[in-house]
Amino acid sequence: MTDATVFAARGRTWRRLRRNPMMTLALGVLVLITLAAILAPALTPFDPYETNIRARLKPPGDGHILGTDSQGRDLLTRLLYGARTTLLIGLVGTGFGALLGGTIGLCAAFYRRLDSVLMRIIDVFLSFPSILFGLSLAAMLGPGLDSLIFAVGLSVMPGIARISRGAALSIMAQDYMDSGRAIGLPDRRLLSGYLLANAYPPILTYTTLAFGDAVLLAATLGFLGLGLQPPTAELGSIAAEGRSFLFLAPHVSTAASVMIFVIVLSFNLLGDALRDAGDRRSV
Amino acid sequence: MFSRLIHRGVTSLIVLTGVLLIGFLMLQVIPADPAVAIAGPQGTQEEIDAIRRHLGLDQPVLLQFVWYIERVLSGDMGRSVINNASVSGELLRAAGPTIELLAVAMLWAVPTALGLGILAALRRGGIVDRLVMAVSVMGVSIPVFWVGLLMIQFAARTRAFPVQGRGGPLWTIDGLSHIILPAIALGLILVGPIARMTRTTLSESLYADHVRTARAKGASEARVIIHHALRTALLPIITLIGLQIGTLLGGAVVTETIFSWPGVGRLAVGSIIAGDYPMAQGAIVFLASAFILVNITVDIFNELADPRIGAKT
Repeated sequence: MTDATVFAARGRTWRRLRRNPMMTLALGVLVLITLAAILAPALTPFDPYETNIRARLKPPGDGHILGTDSQGRDLLTRLLYGARTTLLIGLVGTGFGALLGGTIGLCAAFYRRLDSVLMRIIDVFLSFPSILFGLSLAAMLGPGLDSLIFAVGLSVMPGIARISRGAALSIMAQDYMDSGRAIGLPDRRLLSGYLLANAYPPILTYTTLAFGDAVLLAATLGFLGLGLQPPTAELGSIAAEGRSFLFLAPHVSTAASVMIFVIVLSFNLLGDALRDAGDRRSV
Repeated sequence: MFSRLIHRGVTSLIVLTGVLLIGFLMLQVIPADPAVAIAGPQGTQEEIDAIRRHLGLDQPVLLQFVWYIERVLSGDMGRSVINNASVSGELLRAAGPTIELLAVAMLWAVPTALGLGILAALRRGGIVDRLVMAVSVMGVSIPVFWVGLLMIQFAARTRAFPVQGRGGPLWTIDGLSHIILPAIALGLILVGPIARMTRTTLSESLYADHVRTARAKGASEARVIIHHALRTALLPIITLIGLQIGTLLGGAVVTETIFSWPGVGRLAVGSIIAGDYPMAQGAIVFLASAFILVNITVDIFNELADPRIGAKT
């Protein structure tokens, strides 16, 4: 494929994507939530950690848009800071998984002798319940930020490894890989300068899509109490806190759950739209 | 076929060893030294050393790992540090309810999903079709715990079902009414993916040559769909159900916790939070090994169901 046809194909994909209203909506929602999470300190006059016993469990309205939680903290503020934490865990975890999975995938394609061993391990990881990663790491490292990030990373790693291997294999068949080898470049240069530099687009797309699963896992582990401990604002643990007051103040856990649902749903809709737009290789 | 199965068996053994290694490591990172704990506050250094030698803690780690595997295989997984209960005893007690919950969840979810998928495939673009597609995207995006919380709220308002714990055996009214909510919450995870897969594979096989032949032969529409089209479409669906077992097991951990269902998942979460390392180690090793065993079984079934898989080797 020449550069011109590549760009033409990319342009077509983009046009089809823009015509899909669901995709536009999902992207808009994600941008909005991310911006709100980043700008949280500027957007809200309340402190996410300052408690006020006299204003506990207030229903929505009356100075607090979404009401208050069991400690009298403004719920919307908690949710914005919670989204900040949850998205950040998803980001760092996915990044870690992409680094690990990408390396494994590229190495499997580059060193053919390692391929079957590496991919067999990946297959096992692929079907393993991701919550079990969370349980094991929380048991070994203690519940907290590091176990959460490792769990998220390990759960997205196998998918990324498979995609990277597939993408890298098609690059390995290109003539410039042979010519690079012929002029005596070391493996390190071939891997980064030739293989990664050409195979990264589908890896990047898939990694973006894996983000939805990462956020869902992080929130679920947070809900189970295996993630960040209170009072840290994190969407899953806010939902868990609200669980104790489910009948008195259902708005606490509902609002947090809806927030998680909207974020994950938007990512999944984005993924479906990308798939429908014909970018089959990348998903 | 046999060489493939042996290959699978060897791989699974390696993975199982990996799981045991993780379990072993979990016991290694215990913050307190077990020898110090046994010797008590008055224990002298000599006493601690003697206990260490007695427990084999002065031996190489690799040897200790081998001993650990021996102990696990003989059914000894240690004792809880909270209530001194035998870990394997607790696991055996919790395994029944978990299996019960998984079975009931699959029992309603798989037929429902198949039915929805068939309806969607027959009327592409119809209401059921759109519903199936919408439900399947939403189903993989919704946090399982939220489904559980919504059900608890609903059940408490209508006082229709108990929301906590397990009743009597499954065949009693009490047992049945207790399992309904958790089983619905857990099964919902499966409906979307299976319905979607049924829709895709069935709508392809509806246009296959042998289905057209069956129609030409004058077979009734129901017979054509169920006997000819669905039969060829079934294999990828069965494979998918096998792959979803991991997801289902993960979902069980959450559902059990929300509905206080006395299964292995709740045991695992509870013991990790309580810092009960031997119990947590036992529950996790148990869950992981069960998952691996179920996976091999599904593979063998696949092998038997499809003569083509065997023919390839």
